[in-house]
Amino acid sequence: MRHIFRAIAAAALAAAFGVAAPGAQAQQPFADVGKQPPITILINSSPWYGGFEKTVELYEKQTGNKVKLDTTPYGGMLEKARNAVRGDKSPYDLINLDTQWTIEFYEGGFLTPLKDIDPAFDLPKEVLTYGDSGYWNAAKRWRTPNGGKLMAWSPNGNVDLFLYREDLLKAAGIAPPKTWDDVLASCAKLQDPPRMYATVIRGERGNGIRFEWMYFMLGKGATVVKDAEKGDYTVTINSPQAKAALDLFIEVAKRCGPPNAGALGQGDVIQLLATGKAAQAMVVSAAWSNFDDPAKSAVVGKIMAVPVPAPAGGKPPALLGNWNMAVPKNVPDAQKKAALAFSRWFLTAGAQRAYAEAGSIPVRSDTFQSDLAQNPKFRWMNAYLTMQKYATQELGYAEGAQVEQILGLRLNQALIGEMSSGKALNTAAKEIEDLFRKNGRRTGSLPPLPE
Amino acid sequence: MIASFAAALNRSFRHWSLLPAVVVFVALTVYPMVNLLRMSVSTIEFAEGRAHWSFTPARNVALLASDAVLPAAVINTALFVVAAVAIEVFLGLLLALLVARLERGKGLVRTAMILPILVPPVAIGSMWKLMYNYDFGVFNQTLVALGAAPVNWLGSTSIALASVVAVDIWHWVPFVFLILFAAVEGIPPDVIEAARIDGASTVQIARRVMIPLLKPALAVALIFRGILAFKTFDEVYLLTSGGPGTATELVSLHLYRVYFEQNLLGYGALLSLALIAMIVAALLVSRRALRGMSRA
Repeated sequence: MRHIFRAIAAAALAAAFGVAAPGAQAQQPFADVGKQPPITILINSSPWYGGFEKTVELYEKQTGNKVKLDTTPYGGMLEKARNAVRGDKSPYDLINLDTQWTIEFYEGGFLTPLKDIDPAFDLPKEVLTYGDSGYWNAAKRWRTPNGGKLMAWSPNGNVDLFLYREDLLKAAGIAPPKTWDDVLASCAKLQDPPRMYATVIRGERGNGIRFEWMYFMLGKGATVVKDAEKGDYTVTINSPQAKAALDLFIEVAKRCGPPNAGALGQGDVIQLLATGKAAQAMVVSAAWSNFDDPAKSAVVGKIMAVPVPAPAGGKPPALLGNWNMAVPKNVPDAQKKAALAFSRWFLTAGAQRAYAEAGSIPVRSDTFQSDLAQNPKFRWMNAYLTMQKYATQELGYAEGAQVEQILGLRLNQALIGEMSSGKALNTAAKEIEDLFRKNGRRTGSLPPLPE
Repeated sequence: MIASFAAALNRSFRHWSLLPAVVVFVALTVYPMVNLLRMSVSTIEFAEGRAHWSFTPARNVALLASDAVLPAAVINTALFVVAAVAIEVFLGLLLALLVARLERGKGLVRTAMILPILVPPVAIGSMWKLMYNYDFGVFNQTLVALGAAPVNWLGSTSIALASVVAVDIWHWVPFVFLILFAAVEGIPPDVIEAARIDGASTVQIARRVMIPLLKPALAVALIFRGILAFKTFDEVYLLTSGGPGTATELVSLHLYRVYFEQNLLGYGALLSLALIAMIVAALLVSRRALRGMSRA
């Protein structure tokens, strides 16, 4: 009787959320996970959090199961997660980890492989695996499904999109850019500081500049190390291609952006675009909801999205910045099962549709290919899917956080003019090589660039 | 037998009565310090769900010696401490002397001055970041309205540290003021009256009478502010995160990165000890300077 009631409730809610997917999805858009004990999730208050919260509310209504969210700013997430897994008993049944942090948790043996909780559990084939960051091959110390165990699933996969003001570009007779040369050409027409900046990119020290520059790096075919997956940690960051990428990044940031390009963080970039002070920007996909919300944006309906431009003659670049939801080892079995039940439900087509409609980035390919993509509200979806095709994980090794700090500082110093691009990359290469050497990696380096 | 035991107990009671305090001291001070020392000569790695300690003092010292960001952090911290504390003590003293001359409204001024100390550091960081914002901040909007060029307060390597110092001054001048104001109010009026009868001017009274009498309070203000300034973290973390480049990198911020972002617990502990050593050295130098001042 209870099952029948639950099915009716699910169908009613699915109808309320406008579920209209065909075939099997329409028949079973949500998973029936039965009665589960309450769970607690450690979740970050990122731009996509609102959608996550609403989807969790839907889960609670639909299943009657309770979920407590410990909503934490990004800055506090890592320490809360560390403290949770290093104690006797984790206060969280699911912890959300930035992709850069996963290796520390995988290597530390702090998480439960999902198939250890339920051998029948597997990710639906439509679920995006974001460079396989949820798998861990302990012998190889690498995130891969080849010989690796499924440790986590992604509730969010960020790639950058190139957003532009459709009205301004049209008025200036400029087509949406496909290459950075197009962007530089458009700057000549659009740049009018301090009234209007043509293109804004994160340039602040740390994760911001490292993440954005890597799009340029990948576009130019440069790499940080030779082949980390095969154990070759020869540092290649001071290659001529990497220097060309850095020179191009600096040119775009300085010629097209504000004078404080070296201090621009994510909030600043979003603010400049949302207030109408920037015509174009490189922004993570999760920030999209800011621009169509009249309470936050002065440019509602005016922003369009295209894939991030490639360097002329270069490859389409894309870098993943996803989150990974994992079950700590130190929680009771019943809690682990409840956490997995939520995971199973969350990854269904119905839940993902509700998740997208609530303003988040879904993590199933079929959601992107559904009728939602035709809705103007979701006009970013095509660009996102294109970026997904090329997206890769970078810094997927234990030293990733330290490499990010080295790059984040040296790239920023090049951008603000404290160092030449050649010197910045040579310095970074030396520091990264020293780091790998201290950790016993097989490493080496390229000849230094002219400084 | 019982009587002699009771007498012995009675004699040693004064020692036993210290036990609770000793236990608290060991638990809250000695143990954490010993643990910090132990960490500073170790490498701590996590595997199989638990921590593995290995004794590697040379490795941590090598990390300290090869830390490329540390020299900039030490220089910035020294500049920050000297600039912030000197200006705060000067302004605090000036305010204390001026407010002490007021005939009415001293209480109101004192209450108003407490407000910046009560604001949480996170709110201070966010508030000042907004005010310093290049495009939307009140400072640049005022400058532009006056026909001047906007200033890159937090994004310029030559200005960023000064911008952070300015926030620290706004935050802590009231603290120094309160200490010195209490001391000024405690100076016996007849001393000042006697100086005045002897023909001393207001400036002479301040320089020759009040400041010498305020030396103990000045020492307290300097020591407290000096220690706190060495440990400044939240303001700089929220305003600049150490950038641009290493322009505002302070030792405490670098320590945070080493501990919490790079997860190098052993090296982080060694760096903590280095910071403690820096503070102790600065205190010894300032104590010597203060002694010199008292003799002069």
